[in-house]
Amino acid sequence: MIHYHPSIEILTDYAAGSLPLAHSLCVSTHLEHCPECQQQIRKLEMLGSHLFDQVQTEHRQLSNLKDSFFKNLAQQPSPKEKHKVSPQEDKAIRWDDYAIPRSLRQFITKSYDDLTWTRLSPSFKIATLYNEEGGAQVALTRVKAGAHMPTHTHTGDEITLVLQGAFSDESGIYRQGDFINRDASHKHKPIVTKDAECICLTVLDAPIEFTGWLTRLLNPIIRRYHPHSH
Amino acid sequence: MERAIQLPNDEQRVTDIYAVAEHRDQAALGRLFDHYVPKVRSFCLAAQPGANLMADDIAQEVMIRIWNKAHTYKPESASLNTWVFTLARNARIDYLRRNSRHQSDIDPEYLWEYVIDENADPFKDAQQKRDQERIQQGLDKLPPDQKQVLSKVYLEGKTHKEAAEELSLPLGTIKSRVRLALHKLTIYVKR
Repeated sequence: MIHYHPSIEILTDYAAGSLPLAHSLCVSTHLEHCPECQQQIRKLEMLGSHLFDQVQTEHRQLSNLKDSFFKNLAQQPSPKEKHKVSPQEDKAIRWDDYAIPRSLRQFITKSYDDLTWTRLSPSFKIATLYNEEGGAQVALTRVKAGAHMPTHTHTGDEITLVLQGAFSDESGIYRQGDFINRDASHKHKPIVTKDAECICLTVLDAPIEFTGWLTRLLNPIIRRYHPHSH
Repeated sequence: MERAIQLPNDEQRVTDIYAVAEHRDQAALGRLFDHYVPKVRSFCLAAQPGANLMADDIAQEVMIRIWNKAHTYKPESASLNTWVFTLARNARIDYLRRNSRHQSDIDPEYLWEYVIDENADPFKDAQQKRDQERIQQGLDKLPPDQKQVLSKVYLEGKTHKEAAEELSLPLGTIKSRVRLALHKLTIYVKR
C-alpha cells in the first residue's frame, strides 16, 4: 500500500508536460505502483485535451505543409509492430526478485549490480544515472539493512522514490513506490528497516550536505558527483 | 441520389483513425491533418511564440506518430482528443529536449507509458464519458484567473513556479488557483 504520493501540483505539471524530465522520471516510476495516481493523471490529461481543443488557431494556409508532409510520408518505412515487453519478459528481467521499473530500463538493462556504485561509507553506496547540465542529479542510493544514512540537509529540493526495501525517518516509514519530496529546509536522518537493504531513486536539485561531525568529511565527495559543482 | 450520412465531427474522426489503422487510408489521415495540425501548431507557439518552424516540425511529427501508432489507439482508455494531446505533449517535450542547450539524456518516450491496461473494464467507458463531460462543462464556467493559470501550465508548458514568476504572484496563489480549479472540475479530491 502506497502512502506517499506526489503533490497535485507535481502531478499536474507532469500531465501537462511542464515538469523537468528528471522529476518526471520519478513520477513515472511512482505511477507504475500507484493506480490511484494513474486515475488522477488520466483526468488531468483529459483536462489538457480540452484546453488543447479550445486553443486559438490562426488562419494560415497549411497546404504547403500538408503537401510536404504527404511527400515525406511516402518515404516513411512502414511501421513495424513496436516491441512490447510481455509479462513473461518482465520476469526475465528480475534479478534476486528485484524488478527494474519500466521507466528505468533505459539506464539499467539487467540488474542494479551492473551500475557503477561509489561507496561513501561501509553501508551507503550511490550510482549516478545521469547529470542534467546545470540541473538536477539523478542517482540511485543503496543502503544496507538496518543502517543509518548520515544526517543531512538538502541544499535544494530532493525527491526520493523507494524502489526496494523500506526506510524511516522522523516523519514516517516509506515503502516501495512511496514518493517523498523534501525541500531545502529539511534536515533528516533516515534509517533503513532491518529486514532488507533499501534502494531508492533520488533526484537532487543541489547537493545534499551531511551535518554530522564525522560525515561532514563526505561533503567534498558528494559535491564532486553533483553537476552544479563542475 | 443517396446522401452520405454525416457523422458528428468527433465520431467522424474516430472512424478516420480506424481507417488509418486498418486500411492505411491517406484521405482519412488528411482529414485528421486538417483538424489537428492547426491545434498542434498553436499549442507549440504558445510555449515558444514566433517559432513557426518548430511548430511545423512538431505538427508533422505528431501526424507521423498518428500514422504509425493509429493501431495502438484504444477508445476505452482515452478519447481521441486526449490521445492526440498526449502525442503532441510528448512530441513537444522531445523536440525541446533534442534542441535545447541543456540536452537531457533521459529518453522521454517511455516516461508516459505507465498505464497497465490489460483488462478492459466495461464500466470504464461510461465513467470516462462522465468525467469528460464534467471537465468540459466545468472548464467553461471557471473564473478567468483560474483558467489563465491552467493555460500557462498546459499550453505554455510552464511549471507552477514559472507561472508564479511570470504573473508576479506568490507561488501559493498559483497553487491555490490550480487546486480550486481542479476541485471544481472534480479532478482533485483531497486525500
